[in-house]
Formats: sequence, structure tokens, C-alpha cells
Amino acid sequence: MAFDRMTRRDVLRASALATVAGGTLAAPAVHAQPTTTLRCGFWDHWVPAGNGAMRELCAEWGERNRVNVQVDFITSVGNQNLLTIAAQAQSRSGHDILSFPTWEPAAKYDMLEPLDDVMGRLTAKYGPVNAAAEYLGKIRGKWVAIPAVSGTQMKPACVRFDLMEQHAGIDIRAMWPANDTRGPGADTWNWDTFLTAAEKCHAAGVPFGMPMGSFTDAVDTVGAIMASFGATMMDREGKVTVQGNAKLKTAVEYLVKLSRFLPNDVWAWDDGANNRALISGRSALIFNPPSAWAVAKRDAPQVAEKCWTVPVPAGPEGRFTPYLPYFWGIWSFSRNKGPAKQLLEFLSERTSAEKQTNTSNGYDIPPFVSMNNFEVWAKEGPPVGTVYNYPLRAHHNATASIAMAPAPAEFAVQAYQQALNTKVVARIAQGGETIDQSLDWLHRELTNIVRGG
Amino acid sequence: MVADGSHAPGGMASRSRGRANAMQRFARRRSTVAFLMTVPLLAIIIGLVAYPAAYAIYLSTLNRRMTAFAGTLNFELLFESDTFWMVAFQSCFFAITAVVLKASIGFWLAHMLHHIPDKGQRKWRGMLLVPWVIPPALSTLGWWWMFDPSYSSINWLLAVISVPEVPWLGHHWWARIAIIMVNVWIGAPFFMIMYLAALKSVPEQLYEAAMIDGASSFQRLRYVTLPMMANIISITVLFSLIVTFANYDIVRVLTNGGPRDLTHVFASYAFQVGILSGNIPRGAAVSLFMFPILALCAFFVLRSVTRRNKEQM
Amino acid sequence: MSASTAGAAPKGIYHLAGSLRKERRWALWVAYISLVFAAIIFMAPPFYMFITSLKGSGEIASQIGSPWLVRDPTLDNYSAIIFNPLFQRFMFNSIVITLFVVALTMVISILAAFALARMRFFGSQALATGVFLTYLVPDTLLFIPLYQIVGGLGLLNSIWGLILVYPTLTVPFCTWIMIGYFTSIPKELDEAALIDGASWSQMLLRIFIPVALPGIIAATIFAFTVSWAAFVYPTAFVTTPDQMPLTIGVVSQLVRADTFAWGQIMAGALVAALPPVVIYAFLMDYYIAGLTAGATKG
Repeated sequence: MAFDRMTRRDVLRASALATVAGGTLAAPAVHAQPTTTLRCGFWDHWVPAGNGAMRELCAEWGERNRVNVQVDFITSVGNQNLLTIAAQAQSRSGHDILSFPTWEPAAKYDMLEPLDDVMGRLTAKYGPVNAAAEYLGKIRGKWVAIPAVSGTQMKPACVRFDLMEQHAGIDIRAMWPANDTRGPGADTWNWDTFLTAAEKCHAAGVPFGMPMGSFTDAVDTVGAIMASFGATMMDREGKVTVQGNAKLKTAVEYLVKLSRFLPNDVWAWDDGANNRALISGRSALIFNPPSAWAVAKRDAPQVAEKCWTVPVPAGPEGRFTPYLPYFWGIWSFSRNKGPAKQLLEFLSERTSAEKQTNTSNGYDIPPFVSMNNFEVWAKEGPPVGTVYNYPLRAHHNATASIAMAPAPAEFAVQAYQQALNTKVVARIAQGGETIDQSLDWLHRELTNIVRGG
Repeated sequence: MVADGSHAPGGMASRSRGRANAMQRFARRRSTVAFLMTVPLLAIIIGLVAYPAAYAIYLSTLNRRMTAFAGTLNFELLFESDTFWMVAFQSCFFAITAVVLKASIGFWLAHMLHHIPDKGQRKWRGMLLVPWVIPPALSTLGWWWMFDPSYSSINWLLAVISVPEVPWLGHHWWARIAIIMVNVWIGAPFFMIMYLAALKSVPEQLYEAAMIDGASSFQRLRYVTLPMMANIISITVLFSLIVTFANYDIVRVLTNGGPRDLTHVFASYAFQVGILSGNIPRGAAVSLFMFPILALCAFFVLRSVTRRNKEQM
Repeated sequence: MSASTAGAAPKGIYHLAGSLRKERRWALWVAYISLVFAAIIFMAPPFYMFITSLKGSGEIASQIGSPWLVRDPTLDNYSAIIFNPLFQRFMFNSIVITLFVVALTMVISILAAFALARMRFFGSQALATGVFLTYLVPDTLLFIPLYQIVGGLGLLNSIWGLILVYPTLTVPFCTWIMIGYFTSIPKELDEAALIDGASWSQMLLRIFIPVALPGIIAATIFAFTVSWAAFVYPTAFVTTPDQMPLTIGVVSQLVRADTFAWGQIMAGALVAALPPVVIYAFLMDYYIAGLTAGATKG
């Protein structure tokens, strides 16, 4: 479950048994006593086996470096991870290493140990990380956290290809086959096509499961749709750009139209509701990493066999895939910064990254562009190739999208947590406001954020 | 304390003198002893209630990163935000509706319990108090599962009498109703027990006299029961208003404030803003808004309590 | 205490007139119908939780047929939850916290109530009122400043932090009802004790505590249920599972949003709710006495 500890002693016991069995003499126990304990709080994985990789990697590294690595897994359900970050920042105590989602490294940059040295070595080895991860992790010219592998996710469309073909007449597997080519109709895979398909599937009783609440799945997806319409709410300098923003208005209008073809309670959906909708077979499409599929593989195999992950539709300004990166950061109050840095470097290496991605059925997206060719994405199944198009591929012609970008981090994090982008849609579609009223509201909220600092 | 009064005055003859001495000694010492005995209580009241309350006021005047004094900025920003006014509305709406329902249902059930023969009462009372006994966070979890859109057992029951599916937590008015339902479910038994106790203390002769005068059951309720119970009703209602107004766990488990922050109450919104989003000063400012309303209720509770004590004396 | 005083049945009324008897009978019917209706609604959620806890995840996921019936009952959920080390840890934390808090509360409130009820001293009246006012201050008003204070003490994310703050929930009420019980003890008793040369401590231990035992039991039950069910403080102050008590542990850790672990969640919630329910089942009269004492005495 969520709470798991792998102490070095456990590993020792296991390995001691192995060595005894092998007939060799174990090293004297005195030398093996680790002196430091490194406490890590990693993101509690949604893919059932996902935590295993982190546990094993930490144990392996701890064994080698004689460090006692204690691993906790902190769930993002109910924002438990945000609570943990806030509490540890407040009390200046807790874990040495913690996982930070999207905007959190920027929000806590003054409490995080700069990691330029580690990032320097890693980029020298593996080349650059993707731009979005750099934007969020490198604050005022310093890397304050390392883009993590475990937990970092894209949220492309996971489609029930049978339902999509039956009700909307789109053969999604032909459109996005499990190789580097664009199939027939790939050029028409845009938000207009998507809207028509949404309407048809809604009429057929298998509406698209796109949450519109205040949790990350909803905020990230709506953020990506807005980005593909070129709509921004705040510019790089922190100036609110809502009033007279035609692109934003178009995006909001589109989202309002789309929301009519979604289940009527999407406004209250959490990050698990879309997964449940897919797994129970009542939804033809959700925007999600492969965790929903992975759970379906275990609990509802007949559904999993019919899932196919494809890029998100494109908008007038391009194709933007919702991206939710996690970061590994070291608190400035940590007393074990040296070992912590070493562990993070180890976890970011290609072999470690591949192990994390493999164990999580391809869920984890490594930050380094050069690692986007792990075999797991081509091999996972059934159906084989279902997650081939999950990472960004060159032929998708897509960009990773961060909701609320390019606003300055201290404002963006507040707008993100308050889910202002989904609320502006909900106020119209559910609250009965006019689009101008709702945009006025958005303007006021954002101005408030800027005034509050 | 051990040494205190350990010399017992000996002998029957010296009893009256000894008594006077003992009383004097006690009189001298008892205020010191009594004060010492209340020190832990004082420590809790001052250290963990009064000081934090004052500290909350100080916190609410700081800026977001708590690095500088910001005056009334937090309050100004709250006043300007629509969300805050929605929260204020929802808190009042929730508290008033829930308390009225709880009190009415509790009153009704207490009456019904009072009507049935005594020997059955214990059994019924035991059964009807169960919602109050289960920790609210856990029973709300059960309600959440009953409201869950994918498998709502309430909707299933409604479907049996061909009522269309209700988006319990998806639509804000339904979500508000759901929250009130759960709160009433948890709190009504408390009122029932309180009113039953009060009903039992109404002298039966009053009813008999009223009946002989030909009073209808409504008149008996209006002119005998209600006046006799007025004080207990006002105390419980005010008291429950405070507790309901400050409720947190139901909203946290059931909706987490959603959809669109429309089901947030002061407590959950303060949590959201202050702790989750890390804006402690703003969160403190939000929670301080509970204070005037609570103080008002507390004033009236205290007045009823003293009046009641005087009546009893 | 007034709840336990049985109301005298109005026997005389039955003989008044036939119409009155008819009205009585009709009223009895209405009473029973209302009570049955209320009992069904009041018991439905726990019953449904119980039904769910007996279902396997396949049965829950299939969503066919009545959710109120269980086709294939299994105790797997219970064994999974009881043998889950995480859950055991929650249980352990809850027990430790509750024991400490109840002990602290009872010591503090009995001492203070004794002093306030019997030994009038400067400001004692104001303090008694203060205790009552403190009881009216809800935890949701204080959790943000307390978050800062507990954080400053380095006790965030620790059961000791919870043990420190929980008495704010329990002590005022317990002191308040103990004052009520102690005041109702006749003054002649302590005078007699004084004449026999008893010290304050002897008086408290030999007379007040035994005589006010029902009140002490009621206050203990109150302190127990409050600290067992506390939710706001652990939600705010505890973030890692190893320090969580049951309420918040079950709500935040067992709810795994993408899986249908509802059976386990419900089993966990029911097991967590068991201790207060058991105490209630055995000590209902004390429980109700404590409940009513707060407002009828105060």
C-alpha cells in the first residue's frame, strides 16, 4: 500500500541469506552498519506495481553506498502530497527528498537546495530535458529540483477504439498506429472532429470522461485545450490578459460547447473519476496516462483490450499535450544533502529511468528527450502498442503543455491550485453566467492574486 | 497537599474549636491550592485557545510569504472575491437549514419516543442514536459511496420509484442538499435525546390539566410543551449553530468544496486557502470571519444558560 | 442526567373519555410509524457500508443488480484490512493518542472542576465562564494558528502534536460537566469530611470521585469519543501515514481513487467506528447522560 519501508537492514537480511546460500562468507556486520538515514517521500504511484521500482532502486543504491534509505509513498489523492509539502515547509523538518508536482518547485524555490551540479552532469550525459520541465524546475537561473521520472505523466487521449468506431465512425488505431507514421485522417484529428465525436458518443450513452473539476487531470486538460487555441490568462510579466482576449474567448466558448456532451457531474470529478468511468466501460475516451488502462488490465481485462492511447486533438495554434511533471527536490533544511544528491543522480540515470518506466507499464515519462525511445511503449499490451503514442513522438508534432503557463510561477501556482481555468468554463456551462460575466470574474480573481503577491 | 490538614484535631471536646481552626487553615490555603489545581486548565485555555486566537489575528495581517506586514490587505482581497462571498452565503445557508431541520426532526422524534410505552423507549433510543455515535468522517465516507455517481445506491432506490438519476455531488444545489442531508443525519439524534430529556422533565399534571380544559393536542404542544422547553430549545439550537457553522469533515470528505467552490464553508475554505495553497495569512483571515457569528451565538447561549441556572435555583 | 429519569406514564388519562383513548391509539400508531421510518433512514448508511464491506471488488465493479444486496459474501475485505500493516499502524496511533488524551483530560478536568466547584477563589467564577466559552470555540477556528504553533514546536506530523492539541477539544467540556456533578454533591458531605480531618486530596479521592463516578464515566466516554473521532487537527497536522490516526488514515490513505477498493474502505471505516459503538452499546446510559449533561446542567 502507500506506506512502505525498505530499510537497508531488510535488504541486508535478504542478501545475507543469498550469500549464505551461495556458500560464501558474508562481510563482517560492523562495516555494514549504515550511519546515515536518507528519508525520501516519493509520489504514490497509480499504476499498481509502480512503487516497486522506486523501492528496489533505492534499496539497491543504499546497499551500494551504505546508506539507509527510507522510502515513503505519498498519494496525490485528496491533495495529500500538497499538504505534505506545505507541512514540511512550515515545520522545516520531514523528508530529505520529496516529490513536487508541476508548480511546487517554483513556489518553494527559496527552500530548496540548488541542484545545478547534478543537472549539469546529467545533461552532459543525456542531453537536454524537455522545455516544459526546464521552465518549471529552473527558477531564476538555478535548478531547484530535478525533473523526476516516476510520476511524470502526459495526459493524451485513452480511447475505447471499439466504441469510437461504432458510435463516431473513427478508426483511431488506423489513424494513430503503433509506429512512427500518421495514419489516414490523422490530419483531421482536431478539436472540431473531437466535438462531433463527443456529441455522438454522448448520444450513445458512452460520453467522453473529461473531468471539469478542480483536480489536476481537469486543470491540465483544460489548460492544454486553451493552449491549443492560443489562449493565455496571464503573460510572462504577471499582467492579466483576460480582457479583450479573443483567443481566450474562443477557447472558453469551445469548452462550454464540449461540456454539454460530457457526463453531467464532471464538475465534481476527481482524478480517479475518469479512470473509473473508463474501467467500468461507460466512457469512450478519457485524457489520462496509462494508469486507467493498467488498472483495467487487472480488474476489467475485457475493457483494457479495447483501449488505445493517441495524441490529443490539435487546435488552431497547434497540438498541446497536457503534461504533469513531478520533480525531486532536496529541502534546504536536509542534513544529508550530499547522499541525497547522489541518490537523485542515480535515479535519473538511463537504466534507472527505464526500470521505472517499465515497472509502471510505461506510465513514467523520463524528462530527457534522448530517453523517449524505451522499448516498453512499443511492447506493452494487450493490445500490443496501446501506449505507443503515449510519450511525445516526433510525428505527433505536439508540445507539452503546462496549465497557466506562461504566468510567473508565484501567480501560476495559485491559479493552478484554485483551478481558475476549469471554473471559468463551469460558471458558464453550469452556473448559467454569460461568457463576459465569467471572464470578468476570471479577471478579478487573477488581479486579486497579483495584488496579494 | 499531603501535609495539608494531616493533623486531625483530636478529642470530642475540642471538636468545635478544632473545626474553626481547620476551616481557617483551609480558608487560608485553599485559594492557593485551588489555583494550583486549575493551572493545567489555564495552561490549555491560554496557551492553546486564547493565544492561538490572538495569533490568528496577527497572522491575518501578514503578506502571503509572511515576510511583511500587510495591514488589512487580506481582508480587502477577500471582500473583493466572489468566491469568498459564495463561501459566506453557503456557510450561513448550510448552518441555518441544517440546524432547523435537525431541531425539527429531533423534536418530532423525541415526541414520538415520548408517546410510546416506557419499556420500548430504551431500544428505540439506542437504535436512533447510532448516527451520532459513529465518527462523522467515517460515516460520511459511507454516504460518499452512497452518492457515488457510478454506483449510487440512493439513485438505485430512486430508480425503483422511477425518479431520474440525481447528480448528487456534481451539481452544486444537489451537493449542498447532500451535505445538509448528511449533517442532519448525524446531528438529529442529538436533538432527539436532548428534547426527550426535556420532555420528561415537564410535569405530567400540566398536560392533565390542559386536557381537562379540553385543549387539543396542538394546543397542548403550543401552550404547555413549547414554553416549558423554550430554554433547552434555544440552548441546543444556538449550540448546534456554532458546531454546524464550523463544520469541516462532511465537506472535506463529501465534496472537498466542489463543484466550483460552491459547497465550501468557512472552515473548509480556510483549509483550502491557508494550508493547501500555503497562504496562511489569508486562511487565518477566512477563519476569523467565523468569529463574530460564533461570538454572537456564544453570548446568547451563555445568557440562556445563566437564566436556566437561576430558574433551577 | 434527566434523560435517565423515567417519565411517568399518564395512566389516569386513559379513563377520561373514549375519544381520548382513540386519539391516544392513533398517536401511538403515528409514533411507531415515525420511529420505524426514522430507524430505517438512520440505520441505512451503516447497513450499506456493512453490505459493501462484504462484497468482492468484482461484484462492486460489475454494477449489476441491487447494490443493497450481496450475492457472494466474503470476509476478504476484513482480513485484508486487519492484516494491512498500514491499517494496524493507524489503529495503534489512534489507541495511543486516545489513551494519552483521555488520561490527561480526566486529570486536568477533575482537578480543575473540583477547585472551581468547591474552592471559590479570586476569579473562579470568571474562569468557569471562560471554560464554557472555550468549549464553544470550534477547532476549525484555531487550526491555522495552531498549525504555526505546532510547526514551531517541531511537532507537525507527529502523534505527540495531536496529543498536545486534542485536550483543547476535550478538557473544557469535561471540566464543565464535572463542575456540574461536583456542585450537586451536598456541602454537608465535605463538612463532615473536614471535621474528620480530611485533606483536600483525601476529600477529592474518597468522596468526590466515588460520588461523582457516573459523571466521570460520562466525561471519560466523551473524551474518548471526541479524540477517537477528531478529524480537523489530524488532517491539518499529520501528513505521513505512519503518524495518522484511524479517521484520517481511512479517509486519506485507503481511498485509492483509481481502484474499486470500496469493500476495503467500508470494512476499514466500520472497524474504525467499532470502539465508540461498542462502548456506546455497553454504556449507553452514561453516554446519554454525558451528552445531555452539557446542556441541561450547563
